Amino acid sequence: MDDIRSSMDNMMARFNDDITHSAPKKLLFNRLSASFSDNLVPTPKKRRLGQESPNRSLNDSSASLNSSSTDPFGSWQSSKLRTDLIETKAIVIQLRNEIEQKTREHRQAMMLAENKSSALKQQCDTTCKKYLDLQRDFEMMQKRELALKDEASRATTELAQLELKYDEAMNKLQREKHLQVEDARDVQLCISNELSEYRRMAQRADLELQSTRNELERLRRRHEELKARFSGYDEMRGDYEKQTQNLKVANDRIRELEFEIQSYSDWKEVTKASQERLASIPDLMAEVERLRGHNKHLNTLIGDKLLLEEQVHDYKTRLDREEGARAEAASLQVKLTHVEQELKEWVKVAQDHCLANTLVSPMALRSRIEQLLKEDIINVAEKTSSASDSKHLLTSVRDLEQKCAIYLKNIEDLNIGLKRHKNFKERLQRKLITVSKERDFYKQLVENFDKDMTMSNASVADMTQDMQVRYRVEVLERTVTGYKDMCATLEREIQAMRQQEQLAEPAGEGYDSVKKELDTLRLENDRLRRRKEELELEMMHRCLRGDFNMKDFKVVHLSENPAAEAYESSKNMMEKLQAEIERLKRRNKKLEDDETQRLNETTSTGGMTLNFKEFNQLRADLESANGKMRKMKDCFKAAREEFRDVCYMLLGYRIDRIGANSNYRISSMFAEGPDDYLDISLNESNCLALLESPYSHTFNPPIDQQLAATNFPAFFSTLTLELFQRSTVT
Amino acid sequence: MSTAQATKNCITLKGSAQIIVEYLKYGINSILFQRGIYPAEDFDNTQQYGLTILMSKDPKIQTFLQNVLSQTEEWLSKNMINKISMVITNAHTKEVLECWDFKMQAEMGDGDTSDPTKLTATKELSRIQNEIRDVMRQISATVSYLPLLDCICTFDVMIHTLQNTELPAKWDETGAIIIQNSQAVQLRSFSTGLHKVDTVVNYKMTS
Repeated sequence: MDDIRSSMDNMMARFNDDITHSAPKKLLFNRLSASFSDNLVPTPKKRRLGQESPNRSLNDSSASLNSSSTDPFGSWQSSKLRTDLIETKAIVIQLRNEIEQKTREHRQAMMLAENKSSALKQQCDTTCKKYLDLQRDFEMMQKRELALKDEASRATTELAQLELKYDEAMNKLQREKHLQVEDARDVQLCISNELSEYRRMAQRADLELQSTRNELERLRRRHEELKARFSGYDEMRGDYEKQTQNLKVANDRIRELEFEIQSYSDWKEVTKASQERLASIPDLMAEVERLRGHNKHLNTLIGDKLLLEEQVHDYKTRLDREEGARAEAASLQVKLTHVEQELKEWVKVAQDHCLANTLVSPMALRSRIEQLLKEDIINVAEKTSSASDSKHLLTSVRDLEQKCAIYLKNIEDLNIGLKRHKNFKERLQRKLITVSKERDFYKQLVENFDKDMTMSNASVADMTQDMQVRYRVEVLERTVTGYKDMCATLEREIQAMRQQEQLAEPAGEGYDSVKKELDTLRLENDRLRRRKEELELEMMHRCLRGDFNMKDFKVVHLSENPAAEAYESSKNMMEKLQAEIERLKRRNKKLEDDETQRLNETTSTGGMTLNFKEFNQLRADLESANGKMRKMKDCFKAAREEFRDVCYMLLGYRIDRIGANSNYRISSMFAEGPDDYLDISLNESNCLALLESPYSHTFNPPIDQQLAATNFPAFFSTLTLELFQRSTVT
Repeated sequence: MSTAQATKNCITLKGSAQIIVEYLKYGINSILFQRGIYPAEDFDNTQQYGLTILMSKDPKIQTFLQNVLSQTEEWLSKNMINKISMVITNAHTKEVLECWDFKMQAEMGDGDTSDPTKLTATKELSRIQNEIRDVMRQISATVSYLPLLDCICTFDVMIHTLQNTELPAKWDETGAIIIQNSQAVQLRSFSTGLHKVDTVVNYKMTS
């Protein structure tokens, strides 16, 4: 660092030297300026010269001017001087420029140098700072180096310590390892020992398993045995149940037998009664004989009575008939008298009507009547012919009247026409008069004109113009008055005509007739117009239908068309339906007849309602009867049970009726079991027969022999005693 | 190219007769359905002229119409028919209740008219069918004003031909039908160029 600093110092010193050594240069500048000043020195001269020169030049010029005039050598010299002067001036200017340039350069160089120096100064400052910093850093580094060295030494010591420590640890661990290896060996040994122990245990378990299996087998076998035994027990139980059932059956049987025994006692009584009755049969027979005789007697009596009744009835009917006949006879007699009277009247009538000399008889009367009828017919014919004649006449009269009316009408019409013609004639006459008058006027006018013409031709010379004119005026005035008269007459005439018309109008019959005619014509017109419209419509319809010129075409169709088929089928159906209607009508009639018949029947029997009532009544009766029967049955059952019990208790046997074939089972009160019973059946001939039963075999002398020795009651009583003794002994 | 076009749109007498017969077939079936002459369940839907038309399923009616219309076609192609009438009558009383007239008018067409048997027309089929469709629509619309047929009815087709026409087997001549107190309504008409068909319905006025 010191070296760097020293070098830096050297550098700075050298730099400063440089700066200081530039002073002589400055001096040089001074010298330069001196040189400038040197240069400047002459300048005043020159300026002086210059200052002189203008004058001189002026003088020169003047001189030249003068010289030209005066001295040629002097002019040349002056020009030479002038050129020199100019040259020098140019040089001076050039030099001045150079000087200015140099000064500028100098200034720039100075500026540059200053800038450089300032930059160098700044650099120097920065480098100084840097240097200082570096020195500081260096110091710090040194310090750090020292510290690090200390640390290093410490670390080495620590390292040594650690080495020692680790060595120790290594030793320790090695020792531990040894120890562990030894332990592992111990453990291995232990494990192997345990393993062997376990193996032994497994073997033992195997053995045990085998033994248990054997035991299981044994148990199974035993179980099967037990099962077999159980099934045996089941069978035994079944047997037991069967036995109990048998027992029950036997008990039932015993009971039945007991009942039979009881019933047997009943039967005994019955037999006793019947025996008694049998004993009394001959008496009864005698009685019957007696009664039969009595009966016969009664029958004959009844027959006689019936015969008598019949006879009585016959007589009665005969009496009735006879009475009727008597009444009829009386009425007939009355009728006979009446008829005789009528006959007399008829005869009288005949006598009155017949001719006097002829015989009075019905034939004559008939001929008379016929004659009269004929006359009557003729009269009627005449009457009708005359009526027709009168009718004919009446019609002809009517025709004539009509004709007359027509003629009258014609006459009236002709009269009207005449009147009209008369009017017309009058009018024509009047018109003729007016026309003739007009003709007169026109004639007059023509005459006037003629006169005028003649006047103008003949008397031109005679008459003056004035005269002529006057004359003409007069003539014309006359004609005018004539015209006026005519007009007046015509107007009068018109008025008269009008009046006449007015007078004629209300009274005119022609007008009315015309009006009527007009009306009729109008009506006819309307009618015709309507007819025309109708015809037009029809025409249009025809046009639509297109049936013009129909005769040019013919209408054809397929013969097998649906319409024909339908007609056929409908016809068939109609026939069928009519047939059915007939059938149904017949049936209906029949049904109606049946209905009436039935109705009669029902009315005769009293109608349906009665039947219903009866039916309901019968139903109610039936129900009550059924209820009664049920009650009786219950009552009878209770009595029977009681009777049986009493019999059993009294006689010691129960007799039960088994089956429908009157078999009886007899069981004793003192029997050893329910199976100890005897079967007895009653055959058709009312004899008791012993049937075989398990109990019947148990008797020591066979039961047949015992029965043969005694009869049933004795046998049963001995049996009872025996059984009773046996039960009391046991 | 032009001749091909010409032959393409050409309608001959036979073609015209076919078109008319087809119209008659659909028209008569439609009338049968619309007027309720047979029950509605005896009819089937078919599409024709852009309309749904109900055609009878009854084989008897089908064969009858087939027979009649084939004969009609033959006569029509010879221009021997003036009018075709479909007559609706009461099946029991035989009274004529309605008469649908299809009047035929021969036209000259617009082709060569020198030979009357080889006339042609160049009217477009679609136009003809449109015209027919309008008539069919009118036929279905007539139900609104025609009187109700409240009895069992049946129908027959009668053809008005020239007097000199020879009748084939199973064809009979019959009289003209007359409706008492009738009213006529003309529907639209259509033309194939060779035949003009007017449809007119005559019906009995109910008081």
